[in-house]
Amino acid sequence: MTARALPRNEKLAEEVIDMNHQTRVYENIFELLPGEENPTPLVRLNKLNPFAEFPLYAKLEWMNPFGSVKDRAAWELLRDLEARGELGDSRGLVEPTSGNTGISLAAMARARGHRLLAVVPNKIPLEKKVLLKIAGAELEVISDELCPAPGLGDGSINLAKTHAKASAKKYVMPNQYENAKNVEAHFKTTGPEIWKQTAGKITHLFTSLGTCGTVTGTAKFLREKNPHVKIIAVQPTEGHDVPGLRNVSQLGVSKLFDASLVDDIIEVDFQLAYTRALELCQNEGLLAGPSSGLIFEGALEIVRRDKNGHGVMIFPDNIFKYTSNMVKHIPGLGSGTQP
Amino acid sequence: MANYSHPEVLVETDWVKQNLGKPGVKLIEIDVDTKSYNAGHISGAVGFNWQTQLQDQVRRDIITKEQFEKLLGDAGVSPDDTVILYGDNNNWFAAYGFWLFKIYGHKDVRLMNGGRVKWLNESDKELTTEPPKITPTQYRAAATDLSLRALLPEVLRVQQEKICNLVDVRSPDEFTGKVIAPPGMTETAQRGGHIPGAKGIPWSTAVGADGTFKPADELRAIYVEQKGVDPQKETIAYCRIGERSSHTWFVLKYLLGLPKVRNYDGSWTEYGSIVGAPIEK
Repeated sequence: MTARALPRNEKLAEEVIDMNHQTRVYENIFELLPGEENPTPLVRLNKLNPFAEFPLYAKLEWMNPFGSVKDRAAWELLRDLEARGELGDSRGLVEPTSGNTGISLAAMARARGHRLLAVVPNKIPLEKKVLLKIAGAELEVISDELCPAPGLGDGSINLAKTHAKASAKKYVMPNQYENAKNVEAHFKTTGPEIWKQTAGKITHLFTSLGTCGTVTGTAKFLREKNPHVKIIAVQPTEGHDVPGLRNVSQLGVSKLFDASLVDDIIEVDFQLAYTRALELCQNEGLLAGPSSGLIFEGALEIVRRDKNGHGVMIFPDNIFKYTSNMVKHIPGLGSGTQP
Repeated sequence: MANYSHPEVLVETDWVKQNLGKPGVKLIEIDVDTKSYNAGHISGAVGFNWQTQLQDQVRRDIITKEQFEKLLGDAGVSPDDTVILYGDNNNWFAAYGFWLFKIYGHKDVRLMNGGRVKWLNESDKELTTEPPKITPTQYRAAATDLSLRALLPEVLRVQQEKICNLVDVRSPDEFTGKVIAPPGMTETAQRGGHIPGAKGIPWSTAVGADGTFKPADELRAIYVEQKGVDPQKETIAYCRIGERSSHTWFVLKYLLGLPKVRNYDGSWTEYGSIVGAPIEK
C-alpha cells in the first residue's frame, strides 16, 4: 500500500485506498498515476534489436493516464503548488510547453478546478495545439527560435515568465525547467519502477533531454542503487524538428541538467527519429513517437559498442500526436490519403 | 563602461531601475514578438510595434520625419528627453529603433544592455501590464541624418569597387545560401547567398551568454583582428530586413567607434531579389 497515487486533497486523504491494481476500481483518474506499485510497462524489443546479449526494454510512458511521461512531473508540480496554497479562484497556472506537459497539466488542473495558460512555440504539431485546447488549456502561440543565439533563452519560456511576473495575481508558473519537483517526480517513481521491474539487472538507461527532469531524477535513483548503471542521453542534431527535445546547445534553458549523472551523450540525426519511430510501429507493434525513435537509435549505437547489457529506454509518448510531423519527415507517408 | 568608444549610448538594467519615473527619462519597448509588451513591460514604458509603427505602411521604407514626430509626440517624448530603448531578442528591434532615432536626430537615445530578457530574469526587477500614463507632446525632430543608412545603388557600387567593409550578420546557413531566411520567417528573397566580398559575422558574435555586449577589447579582437573588418574603411552592415544589422551597426559605430558605419535596411530581402545582382554562396 502506498499513498503515491492518492490525490492529496482533503476529501480523499483519509480514505484507505486498495492499491491492488488487478482488482482495483479507481475513484478518480489520479489514482492511475504511476508508482512502484503501478508502474508503466516495460516491453522487450524482439525484431529490431539483433543483439541477444543486450536486450532492450521500452518503458511505455504513453500508458500514463494523460498520455506521456510528463504526467509524472506535471502531477508533482501541481500538487506542490496546491500544497503551498499558490492556486486559487483568481489565480491559475502559466507554463511554457512543447505540448506534453501542457496536456497533462491542463487536464489535471481542470479536473481539480484550476485553469492553465499554455505558452507554446508555433512549430509544435497542430495535433498538440488542438489537444491542449481539448484538455482545457488556454493557448498562446508564439513564433519561436527565430535565430538561436546566446542569452535569448526560449521565447515561450520568456513569455510565460513575463506573465508570471507582470500578472502575479492571475498566474503562477510551475516552471518545469527549473523546479526541483520535476526531478523529484522521477526520483520517486520512474527510478524505483525500473529498478523493481528489472530486478536490479539494468545496466544502461537510455533517455532524451528536454527539461532534463527525467534523466536527472531517474539517474539519481538508479545510481544510488548501483553506481555502475550507465546513463545515456540521446539528443537530436542541432536545428532539429523533434518537439520536446533539446540539443545540448539549447540546454541552457534547463537548470535541471546534471552532467555528472550522464555517461554519454549520443547525437542522432533528427530525421532518424522519424524513421526509427516508423520501424517501431511497423515491426514491434510499439506505436512510439519520434522522441522514442531517437532514443532507440541512440540505444542501438551503444548496444553495438558495449555488446552486453540490460537496457531500458524511456519512450516518452506515442505516435498519435505526430501524424502531421510524420507526413513532413517520412517521404510518401502522405500520399494516397486523398481519393 | 567596458572601454567603449561611446559608453553614453548604453545603460544597465540597474540604472534603469534607479531612474524609473524620473522626469526626462522615457522608456520605450520594441520587440520582435509584438505580444511581449502587452504580456508585461517595465513600468512606464511605451510599446512600439516595429511592423505597424516604425515602417511606412504603404511603400517599403522607414517612417517619414512627420510620422516619426507624430509617433514620439503621441508617446509623450520631448526632443530633450533621455530615451531608453529595450526589447526582446537581445534588442534587435530596439537597435533598429535606435538607428531610426539617430536618423531623425534625437540627441540622447540609449539601449538597455541585455534587453528585456535580462530584466525579466533579474529577481529585483518588476514588470507590469498597466498602460503608461502619457502626456502627448508636439515633438519636432532635428535635422535628418541619412548618412547612417545605405541604399541599394550605393551597396551595388561599393560591392563593385570593393572600397568598403560589408558585414553580413545573418546566421551561417543564410550566409552560405543553405536557407534564405530562418525557419518560420515570412520575409524571404528570390535567391540565397551573400553579397560578394561580405564577411559573415553573425550578430550574436557581439553578445555574451547573458545577452549583454562583450567588452570593447573582445569586440575589437573579433571584428577587426579575426574577421578582418578594416577600421580605416567605411562599413555597411546588412541582414535580412535590417534589424539584426542595426544591432551590429550599433556595435561597430558606438561601441568600437568605427569612422563611418551604415545600416543597409533593404538587406537580403532586397539584394537577393534584384535581377542581375552579383551573389556569392
